[in-house]
Amino acid sequence: MLKSPASNPTAGVHSADTQAKIEASEKTFSLNAKDKYYAWLFLGPSLLILGVFIFYPMFRTLYLSLFLTNTVGKPTVFVGLQNYVNLLTSADYLNSLLVTMVYVLGVTAATIVLGLLLANLASKQLAGIGIFRTLFSATMGVSVSVAAIFWLFIFNPSTGFLALMSTWLHLPVIPWLTNSTWAMIAVIITTVWMNLGFTFLILFGAIQSVPRTLYEAASIEGASSRFQFFHITIPSISPTLFFVSIVTLIEGFKSFGLIDLMTKGGPTNATNMLVYRIYKDAFYSGNFSQASAESLILTVIIALFTLLQFKVLEKRVNY
Amino acid sequence: MIAKFGTFLKKHFLPILGVIVIAIGVVFVNASHHETTAKAGRTPIVFWHEMGGPAEQALDKMVKSFNQSQDKYEVIPQYEGSYDEAVQKIIQSHGTSASPALFQSFDISTAQMMHSKYTTPVQKFIDEEHYDTSDISPVARSFYSNKGQQLALPFNTSQPVLYYNATLLKKYGITPPSKSPSYSEITRIAKQLYEKSHHQVKGMTMEIYGWLLEEALANDKTSLINHGDGHTGNPTKISVNNPNTVKFLKWIRTNIKSGDFVNYGSGASAETNEIAAFLAGKLGIFVQSSAYIGQLTTGNKNELGISYFPHPDGTKANGVGIGGAALWISNDKPEKVQKGAFEFIKYAENAKNQANWQVATGYLALNKNSQKEKVLQDLYKKIPAARVPGEQLASAKPNNANSGILMEGMQLTRELEETAMETVYNGGNINSALTTADKAMNANLQTTNKANGR
Amino acid sequence: MSITLNDVRKDYDSQTAVLKNVSAKIETGEFFVIVGPSGCGKSTLLRMIAGLTPITAGEIKIDDTVVNDLPPKARKLTMVFQNYALFPFLSVWDNVAFGLKARKLATDDINARVKEALKMVNLTKLAKRKPRELSGGQRQRVALARAVASDAKICLMDEPLSNLDAQLRIKMRQEIYALQRKLGLTLIYVTHDQVEAMTMADHIMVLNDRHVQQIGTPSDIYQNPRNAFVAKFFGTPQINILPAKRSEENSHIVNVSSDLQIVLDEEAPSANLQIGIRPDDMQVKRADGVESNAVVKNTEFLGDETIVYATLNSGSDIHVVLPGKADFRSYEPIRVTANANLMFFDPDGKRIDLSKEAYVHA
Repeated sequence: MLKSPASNPTAGVHSADTQAKIEASEKTFSLNAKDKYYAWLFLGPSLLILGVFIFYPMFRTLYLSLFLTNTVGKPTVFVGLQNYVNLLTSADYLNSLLVTMVYVLGVTAATIVLGLLLANLASKQLAGIGIFRTLFSATMGVSVSVAAIFWLFIFNPSTGFLALMSTWLHLPVIPWLTNSTWAMIAVIITTVWMNLGFTFLILFGAIQSVPRTLYEAASIEGASSRFQFFHITIPSISPTLFFVSIVTLIEGFKSFGLIDLMTKGGPTNATNMLVYRIYKDAFYSGNFSQASAESLILTVIIALFTLLQFKVLEKRVNY
Repeated sequence: MIAKFGTFLKKHFLPILGVIVIAIGVVFVNASHHETTAKAGRTPIVFWHEMGGPAEQALDKMVKSFNQSQDKYEVIPQYEGSYDEAVQKIIQSHGTSASPALFQSFDISTAQMMHSKYTTPVQKFIDEEHYDTSDISPVARSFYSNKGQQLALPFNTSQPVLYYNATLLKKYGITPPSKSPSYSEITRIAKQLYEKSHHQVKGMTMEIYGWLLEEALANDKTSLINHGDGHTGNPTKISVNNPNTVKFLKWIRTNIKSGDFVNYGSGASAETNEIAAFLAGKLGIFVQSSAYIGQLTTGNKNELGISYFPHPDGTKANGVGIGGAALWISNDKPEKVQKGAFEFIKYAENAKNQANWQVATGYLALNKNSQKEKVLQDLYKKIPAARVPGEQLASAKPNNANSGILMEGMQLTRELEETAMETVYNGGNINSALTTADKAMNANLQTTNKANGR
Repeated sequence: MSITLNDVRKDYDSQTAVLKNVSAKIETGEFFVIVGPSGCGKSTLLRMIAGLTPITAGEIKIDDTVVNDLPPKARKLTMVFQNYALFPFLSVWDNVAFGLKARKLATDDINARVKEALKMVNLTKLAKRKPRELSGGQRQRVALARAVASDAKICLMDEPLSNLDAQLRIKMRQEIYALQRKLGLTLIYVTHDQVEAMTMADHIMVLNDRHVQQIGTPSDIYQNPRNAFVAKFFGTPQINILPAKRSEENSHIVNVSSDLQIVLDEEAPSANLQIGIRPDDMQVKRADGVESNAVVKNTEFLGDETIVYATLNSGSDIHVVLPGKADFRSYEPIRVTANANLMFFDPDGKRIDLSKEAYVHA
C-alpha cells in the first residue's frame, strides 16, 4: 500500500544538500486518500487513549503547577514558578525529599544485599534447596495491603510478635511506627520484605546463568568462595544488579500504598514520602497547584534515574 | 495484509462498532443505576457519609427508620472513606450527576465548604420552616455558623475530655482531679502516680495532635487566628506563637522533665497505643476524644474517671470546642431534593435519635432533651462518668475562641502544629518551634487568600 | 609430580556406574592423553583428578599423597577448560593474574609471573584487551597463560582445542606440546580426537563403555590394539573388521565367506572370529568372472592416494587405500587380497594373538 521511495525517478542523483531539499519538498513517501483513512483508523484509537490518559493529564499538571488553585481546585492566579520556588525552599518539602531519599536508598541497599545473599545461598547445590528457593521467592505474590497488615501485626507495640519477643527477653519494646526513626525503619523493613521475592528471583536467575566453569577454574586456582563471590559472581551479574537496583529505586520513589496503610506519612512527617505528600496535598488539603508542582519534580527525579539506567545499561556495565 | 483487513473492517465496521457501543453502554448504564434508584413515588436523597464500623451500622439504622417514617423521600446512604478524602470528592463531583444531595463533612472543612459556595446554608430551611434549633448544643451549632448564619447542622460531635484511672488513684491514695481541673492539678496527680507506683505507672500523656492544642487554646479563651478565629472576617494572620500556647507546652514540658509523661507520638497508632496502655494500667491520665468512652468502658477492669479538659492555673475554663462532623446540603440539586435532605437532618437531630446515637457510637447527644431519654439514663446508671462529656458540652458558652476555626487549609495547619509539638516533646525550644510553625502557617494562609482573591 | 589412579570408580546414582576399575600411573613430566568417544566418562575422570567431582571408590594419589578428599586448590594443579573459562569482565592480564591474586601473592611476584606467562604464549601486546576482543586461538592462549602463571606442575586440559578450526588446531597442538616440554609439566589431556592423541601423547588411555580399554604409547596402541574398539578408534580410514569362520576341513584355515582365506600356523581357537585389516594393508586388482571376490562401489582420490570402497561378494563393505591414483569404475569386479599385519579378534572383539602365514586368497 505504501509507495516505494525508489519510485521517485530523480532520487539518488543529487548532492547531499539538494537531495535533502528534494526530500523535504517532494513526496517520496505519500499516502492516497484511502491509505490515509486506514492510517487514521489504525492510529486513532491509540492516539485517543494516549491523548486522554497521558498527554492531557501531563499538560494539565504542568499548567496547574504554574497557578494557584482556589477552594474548589480551580486555577485562579498565575504565579509562574513560584510554586516550585516555595517547595524547594520549604523545610517541610525538603524534609520529604530527604526522607524519601533515606527510604529509597535504604530500601534499595537492603533489598539488593539481602536478595544477593539469598540468591547466592540458593545457588548452592544442597539437599532441599528447592524448598528454600520457593520460600525466598514467595513474597512475590503478596499484595501491598496484605504485606502492610501482616507487618502491622508484627510491629504492634502491645500484642505484636516483636513486642512479645522483647518483653520475653526483658528488652525495651521498640516503638515501631510511633517513633520517627523507627517508623522509617519499619516501612523500610516491610518494603524490603515485599521486594525480596522479585529481587531474589531475578538475581538467582542471573547467578544461575554464570558459567559453572568460571567457579571451577577459580576454585582450582585457589580462590575462596568469598573471593569467588566478589570477583566472579558480582561482576558477572553486574548488569542485572544494576537493573534491579534502578527498578527498586524507582519503585521506592513511587511507594504509596504501604505508607498509606502503615504510617500515613507520620509520625510527624517522618515517612511523608514525595508521592504520599502529593496525594495528601491534593486530596486532603485540596492544594492542587502545589501537588502538581510536586508531581513534576518527582517526574524529573524518576526520569533522571531512568535515564541513568538507560545510559549505563547501554554500556552493559562491566562488559 | 492491510488491504485485506481494511476490506474486512469495511464489511463489518458497523456491526463491530455496534457491539462495542452496546458493551460500553451496558457497563455505564449498570454502573449509573447502581443503588441510586428510589422506590416509586419517592424522591431519592443521595447521602455521602464517612462513618465506618459500628457507627455506620447505627447510621444505616437511623436512615432506615427515617425512610419508614414517611413516604416522600428515600435517603440512600453511601460510605465515602475517610473525612479528609471525602472533602475533595464532594467538591470535585459538585455539579455532576454523581454528586450527593446531602453529605457529612468534618469540622475543619467548614470554611472550605462555606467558601466553595456549593452548599445551601441550612439557615434557609430553618427560617422557612421556623425550625427551633435552641435544643441543639449552642457551642456545636456555633462551630458551623458564620456571622449568625447556620451553614450546616452538627451531627456527630465529640469533645476532648480527660480520662483517668480512678482505681489506680484510689490504690495509691491520690486525690482525683476536680470536675474542671487545672494544669497544676493534673501535674500533681501524674507525678504522684509515677512516684508512688515506683515508676511502674506513667502519669500522663497528651497525643501529638493539633486538635488538642487548638482545644487548649479554646479553653484558655485564645484565638489562634485573627478576626475571632475567622468568625468575624476572613483570616489574615495566624499566631500559634502566643503566650497561652507556650503555657500549654510548658505544662507538658514540666511533666516530661519529671519523667511521668509518656509520648506515644501521633496518628491513629498513638491513640491505639495510649488506650492499650491505659487499659493495661500502665498509664494514669490521658486527654482524648469523648468518642472513646465505649472502648474505655468495655473490658476495663478498673473504674474509669472523666473530667473536663484541663485549663491553665489562674483562669477559668472557657469551654472547649467540638470535633466531629456536620450535615450539609448541596445546592446543585432541585429544591424538592434539598428540602428532603433537610427533612432527614431534622430527623437526625431529634432527641431520641441523638440519644440512640450517643449510646451506639460514643458521640455526644446534641439535643438537650436527649438527656431525658431512657437509653441515655440507662447508660449513665451503668457508667456514671459517661455523663461528664455531655455536661462539659452543655456548660460551654459559645464565643469565637471555642467555636472552632473558620479557616481553609486547616489540615496543613494541624500538621504544622503537630510538627511543633513533636519538636517540643523531643526537647526542642518552644519559642523557635512555634515561630517556625507560625511562618509556614502564615505563608500558606497568604497563598490561600491570594488564590481565592481575598 | 606423578599421579596414580587406583581402581577409581564413579557412580552417579547408587545404581549406574559411569567409570569402573580405572587404574593408571602417570609419570612426572609425561604428556598423558585420555581419549574416547563422547560420553565415555573421560571428562568425568579429569574432573575427579582435579577434585571438582568426588570419586565413589578407589584412590587418587599425587606423588605419594592420597588426594581423594582434598579440595581442588589443595591439589596444586591447574586446568584448562574446553570453553577456556575466561572471565569476560577482566582484561587478559587480569585473567591471568586472577588465581595469583586469589592466593594473595605479592604484587611484584604476580606482575613478574603474568608478564612471563603472557610472553610465553605471545600475548604481551594484547594484555589490556577483554576476552571478547580476542580470536578463538588468542583466547586459548590466555587460558594457557593462566595455567603457566599458576606455576603448578600438573596441568589438566579438557578438550582445549575442540572450539578451534582445523588449521588453528594443528598450530595450537604444537604450541601446547612445546609448552609442556619446556615447562616439564605433567599434562593430562582429554580429547575425543584420536589424531591429537596420536600426535602429542607419551601415553594414551583409551576409555570406552565405562572401562579403560587400553593404556599404551601411540605406536603400541596403533599396532597392538587390545580389542576391536581400540583398533577401530585409531587410524584413518578406519580398519576393516570382517567376520570369519574356521574351515571345517582344516582348522588352520579361516575363511571370510568364500571371499578371503587365511592360512594360520596354528589352529584357529574358535569357530567364529573377526579379522582386522588396515586399509593400506590390502591390495586390489581388476578381475573378471570367477576371479573376482568384490565389486567396486566408488573411489575417492585424495592426491597422494586413493580410497576404494567395495563390497565383498559375501556382502561385507570394505575400504582399501592404494598409493597414487587408481582407476576403478563403479560396479567393476575386482579381486581384493591382503598379506600382512592381520589382526584377529574373538566374536566379542577381544584380541587373539595368532601367528599366521598371512596371506589371503580366494
